[in-house]
Amino acid sequence: MKDKVIINSNAKDIAKFASLIPARTARFKKAPATPLPSTYAVNDTAEKLHPEVQKMVVKEVRDECADVKTYVLESCENKSLAFFRAGQYVSVSLKIGDSVLTRPYSLSSSPEEALGGIYTITVKRAQDGFASAYILDNWAVGTNVDVSAPDGTFYYEPLRDAETVVGIAGGSGITPFLSLAKAIADGTEKAKLVLLYGCRTENDIIFKAEFDKLAETCENITVVYVLSDSKAKGYAHGFVDAKLIGKYAPDKYSVFVCGPSAMYGFVSKELKKLDLPKKNIRFEMQAIAKPKEAADKEFDCVVVKRGEKVSIKCSGGEPILVALERAGIKAPSKCRCGECGYCRSKLVSGDVLIPEDSDGRRAADKRLGYIHPCCTYPKSDIEIKIF
Amino acid sequence: MKKYDAVIIGSGNGGLTAAAWLAKEGKKVVVLEQHNIPGGFATSFKRGRFEFEASLHELCGYGKTTGLGEVRDIFGKIGVEDKIEMCDVPAAFRVITMSDSDNIDVSMPFGVDAFIDKLEDYVPGSRPSVERLFKLADEIRRTTEFMGDLDSFGVDTVKEIINKHLNFVRVAGYSVDEVFNALEIPEKAQKVLKTYWSYLGERTDKIGFIHYISMVNSYLSLGAVVPKERSHGMSAVIAERIEELGGEIWYNSRVEKIIMYNGAAKGVVLSDGTSVYADHIIANCAPHKVFSTMLDKKDIPVSEVKKANAREFAGRGFSMFLGLNKSPEELGITDHSYFIYDTMDTVKQYDLMKKIETNNTQVTVCLNYADRTCSPEGTTLMYFTTLYNDNCWASVSPKRYFEMKRLVAEKLIDNFEKCTGAKIRDAIEEIEIATPMTYARYTGALQGCIYGYRANDWDGIVARIMMEATDEKIPGLRFAGGFGTQLLGYSSAITSGRNAAVKTLKDMED
Repeated sequence: MKDKVIINSNAKDIAKFASLIPARTARFKKAPATPLPSTYAVNDTAEKLHPEVQKMVVKEVRDECADVKTYVLESCENKSLAFFRAGQYVSVSLKIGDSVLTRPYSLSSSPEEALGGIYTITVKRAQDGFASAYILDNWAVGTNVDVSAPDGTFYYEPLRDAETVVGIAGGSGITPFLSLAKAIADGTEKAKLVLLYGCRTENDIIFKAEFDKLAETCENITVVYVLSDSKAKGYAHGFVDAKLIGKYAPDKYSVFVCGPSAMYGFVSKELKKLDLPKKNIRFEMQAIAKPKEAADKEFDCVVVKRGEKVSIKCSGGEPILVALERAGIKAPSKCRCGECGYCRSKLVSGDVLIPEDSDGRRAADKRLGYIHPCCTYPKSDIEIKIF
Repeated sequence: MKKYDAVIIGSGNGGLTAAAWLAKEGKKVVVLEQHNIPGGFATSFKRGRFEFEASLHELCGYGKTTGLGEVRDIFGKIGVEDKIEMCDVPAAFRVITMSDSDNIDVSMPFGVDAFIDKLEDYVPGSRPSVERLFKLADEIRRTTEFMGDLDSFGVDTVKEIINKHLNFVRVAGYSVDEVFNALEIPEKAQKVLKTYWSYLGERTDKIGFIHYISMVNSYLSLGAVVPKERSHGMSAVIAERIEELGGEIWYNSRVEKIIMYNGAAKGVVLSDGTSVYADHIIANCAPHKVFSTMLDKKDIPVSEVKKANAREFAGRGFSMFLGLNKSPEELGITDHSYFIYDTMDTVKQYDLMKKIETNNTQVTVCLNYADRTCSPEGTTLMYFTTLYNDNCWASVSPKRYFEMKRLVAEKLIDNFEKCTGAKIRDAIEEIEIATPMTYARYTGALQGCIYGYRANDWDGIVARIMMEATDEKIPGLRFAGGFGTQLLGYSSAITSGRNAAVKTLKDMED
């Protein structure tokens, strides 16, 4: 016999069911007809933290050393800039001739300064550098600049990292560490920084005055300048190697590395000698070394966007993203190192090279033929779909 | 001028399913997604050597080997079932309460019989009432299947339900608590049975019994799965399928306005000014979003404004993702999913979830137990989720934001360690924390709400289903996703996408 389930009584239970529609209808009827809100608190806060674009203007230009300048950017709208974690970067939008492109620059200013409406970035003239040359030669006080919200994962996280960060910096890779040092000095970050800063000569040291002052006034900051091409009093000589790290690091520490790719290879080998767990080593994403294979060849690249096709040329020695930008095609990009996936596109046909170190694609994307054009090089004629 | 048969706003589970369904029927569709990847919440992200699942705890209604669930049926029909590799979730859950008064800590298996056996062990004497509960649950399943096959809900169908499905009728107006009490389920057994409540985000004195028990029954009888390539794998495969069927997906394409003509939706305008025309639009977002940002006030029927005003947003999401440098066994993690509460008094717990300071709820997954290859050998991938029943995160100042994220993350870790004895803190190799603002940022979700409209007592699933035919008032505009008739959750959103497509196909015929 079928089980009969009764909650109150047969009649009451059925009446309760029968009331579902009238009850809901009544609720809707008695609700106010006032227009729905046009803003929402969480979305407003999200917009403050992660604005799509921040309109800025160059407030000040500082010569740091040969071919290196610092740009102080301030909000055009005279408001707070998006707060960030020391070590993060912003993506700067540029229009150079017919090209539209972006470049990521680590912020050297402190998170606290962002709340006062200031970001600073430091630009070094790169060899054959298209964007860096443009910025150094063209930006001046008053230049308008669009920058993204800060992004990136190269930051100190107490739940993960040791209390002491051994920062290994090379050349202009120093910028995120200045931000971190300032954040430590003003109490935003509760960490200790031992900075091992490799430069060729004394003249190549960026931010020396700032770092000296921070190290002098804050007991949690130690700075060691390591000169490879010259010997001078008060400076270490040579490269940042295991021995030097051992000399300055405490028992427990996390290593943060930011600098040119040649340095990464060297430092990686040295860190192996120290036998640190993977979690204690963090490399800032780096510009990708150009592949030698097919570097001098030129290929045809068919680009499909929203169903429309154009054909452009693409060299085997440059990432597909660069070819898109040169052709004036507006393609999304942010980190330019394969990590953020902002430029995610579909490879419809053709062969490409993706250096393993910069392959930040999701598993399904690898299988389904998606690429990150910022770090993907053509090996044949190709067709891609961009979004 | 671009003209399509249908425009789908948003590529969440509902939007993707709707688009694939229409495309398979030969309709020319375009999906407009503001982000650069498909999926909405159904996505993944990489940090170091880990690829994290962004939101899915477990997919119900699939039935990989246990029977054909509705989601698998839909995936088969849109032609993606064999393209998405699914992994079985090994067991239902472990539930732990932190307050001494409840003192619950038990791991429960999948399988209705196994579940009842285990519960009898844990709460001796619970068997008769719990067996009765699951018999009732099976009857309800048969009724909902019957209701699902109906095209519309007229007086005749209501009569038929009352005649032939009386047990369904007698419980349909009641909450979980009311029915559990009427069935005289022992209190402690009730507490274990209420574990899944946070999957629906509504207190058990408010949430409809039918809704809740249908979910529980689906989990226990069909089991649950997770896609091997995270939910991004699922979303990306469906997106591919849409294109294979002749449809289009435009990423980085945010819809700003819906174009209205003679009171009907006729197309959309993107933030870059591009217009896209179609006589049928499916919005995979909150009606609030459409009515407050995409339509002129004059084009919104008063009834729709009142309807939206009557409703409240359900849970705002918060998640912590951990990549750990030891295996689950080394860390002392024993289960796939953990539900940790202060108390099984869901009314109290619901209120505690209104404030950052008082919210201790966590639903935590160790994905390795469903998929041993989800992270490199010797590592563990975990995610911890909680909900806030208020906009408390919005008032955290930017300056305090990272600190506040960390405080909550620490609380989640501490509570997990305390409750399970596992030691995870020193093994953190990667950590990411998502707040309601993060959900808002990536998907545009209003208030960072990831759970749709509250499944309130007056706005439960049975009432929504019975009123579905009259719930959408603007010609040419349909909704898919967690704010709709089927309410929140992956399987519901997928089903809602299918339903929106079916309704749209009918609209096209008319």
